[in-house]
Amino acid sequence: MIRIEGVSKTFSGPGGPVEALRPVDLTILSGSFTSIIGPSGCGKSTLLRIVAGLETASTGRIANEGEQGRPGFVFQEPVLLPWLTARENVRFPLDTSGVPRAEGDRRTDELLAMIGLSSFAQALPRTLSGGMRQRVAIARALSYDPALLLMDEPFGALDLLTRDRLNDELMAIWTATRKTIVLVTHSVEEAAYLSDTVVVMSARPGAIKRIHTVDLERPRGERTKLDPRFHQLMADLRRDLA
Amino acid sequence: MTSGLRRALELPAALLGVALAWDLYVRLSGVPPYLLPAPGDVGRAIVDLATSGQLWTHLSFTLGNLAAGLALGAVLGMAAGLALARVPALERALGGPILFLQTAPKIALAPLFVIWFGLGATSKMVLVVSLVLFPVMIGMLVGLRGVDRRLIDLARLLQLSPWQRFRRIELPAALPELFVGLRVGAVQAVVGAILGEWMSGRQGLGYLMTFATATYKTPMLFAAVVLTALLGIAVYQAVDVAERRLLSWRA
Ligand SMILES: Nc1ncnc2c1ncn2[C@@H]1O[C@H](COP(=O)(O)OP(=O)(O)OP(=O)(O)O)[C@@H](O)[C@H]1O
Ligand SMILES: [Mg+2]
Repeated sequence: MIRIEGVSKTFSGPGGPVEALRPVDLTILSGSFTSIIGPSGCGKSTLLRIVAGLETASTGRIANEGEQGRPGFVFQEPVLLPWLTARENVRFPLDTSGVPRAEGDRRTDELLAMIGLSSFAQALPRTLSGGMRQRVAIARALSYDPALLLMDEPFGALDLLTRDRLNDELMAIWTATRKTIVLVTHSVEEAAYLSDTVVVMSARPGAIKRIHTVDLERPRGERTKLDPRFHQLMADLRRDLA
Repeated sequence: MTSGLRRALELPAALLGVALAWDLYVRLSGVPPYLLPAPGDVGRAIVDLATSGQLWTHLSFTLGNLAAGLALGAVLGMAAGLALARVPALERALGGPILFLQTAPKIALAPLFVIWFGLGATSKMVLVVSLVLFPVMIGMLVGLRGVDRRLIDLARLLQLSPWQRFRRIELPAALPELFVGLRVGAVQAVVGAILGEWMSGRQGLGYLMTFATATYKTPMLFAAVVLTALLGIAVYQAVDVAERRLLSWRA
């Protein structure tokens, strides 16, 4: 369980302090799937970075109870090591934590197959498209099987078909491993389809506007997308965002 | 013809062109050989040096000095650049003086090194090292400063040790700038090695030049000059090859 208690963030910019995040209180249950939606610039990335420990909160604290080890993190733009191949990038967290070679190879090949890039294993990032790079970054975040997976608009740059497929993959991974997942997205459909909880944030400086609990049954699939409650939820989310 | 093969042939072709023009000039102008010997004479001088075994003695002396000085200078320069990048206070204190010194011609220090370190191998080595150190240090510092912040985020996220962060992220990311420094350093190292031999000692291509000049052996002087030029080109090419291998991931 991760408890976010009164976490706020004010950046010191050249033109004076910039309030990015008003105090946020949020509890993320272990094994739950939480989505965060909100207008651009409302502090979603900032909140995620604070949870990951990449940014220090100006006030408040994060209590991490149970999600031990390195968190998985997918940055908003793919951050790959440009001198490593797709395969080496996926393996990187395994190599640097001393995972045996055979084990690392097996895991890497599985993930490359999952993201549909087996035939690009030896390609350098600069020869991949933006969407392909992002998929490599996703595979890298999954490679070390983190208990906590934080994803910052991971599917934004993908075409609809790939996005749907990876949504289902992500849901399958979550069902099988029960990781705690926090997903930032701009898509109300994605949020409604995947989550247990959808957090809606208000425009900057960001604060939590409403928290929706999603009571659609699992496993979800194509049928979920026909469910009137699913459409009602999407309508509610859109209304909250407006 | 592949572009690699063309590249490999470009340089010999250019050198051959220079030799032919030179030969033609000597034949047509009638310039005396003690001012400008024909390329054939210089070639013969090189062969003579080779057969008498002197060539190898002098060349290996210069090359050894050069390689050791270049390696040591590069390592020290990288360490100094890393220290400056890691300790902002150090950079604030030394950054100004270093940039100031950078613009001063460091070979002016050569006579001081002789006074401080004697006429032997030490002062020669110190001279080469001092010439290599600065550009490499600055390349390292600039490279480390320019590392993409998001890659540093990645290192934090993956909880890399300081060594892993340096070796697996910062060093490869800084490599392009580091090589800019190494290129300058490699050229300077040849200058330093020859200069050191001009000043003292009885070995090396630099010594061979002063000896040939003092004894009016102009073809031998030219032979030493040609060999030095070739040595410089070879060293530069070696850096170039290393760079192309290590930075092949760039477009
Ligand atoms: N390092 C920083 N320094 C100064 N200001 C920052 C910094 N990072 C973010 N901000 C500011 O904080 C606010 C929130 O930024 P953040 O990236 O968290 O928004 P976001 O919700 O992720 O937006 P988007 O949906 O466009 O990705 C913005 O106004 C931004 O300008
Ligand atoms: Mg963002």
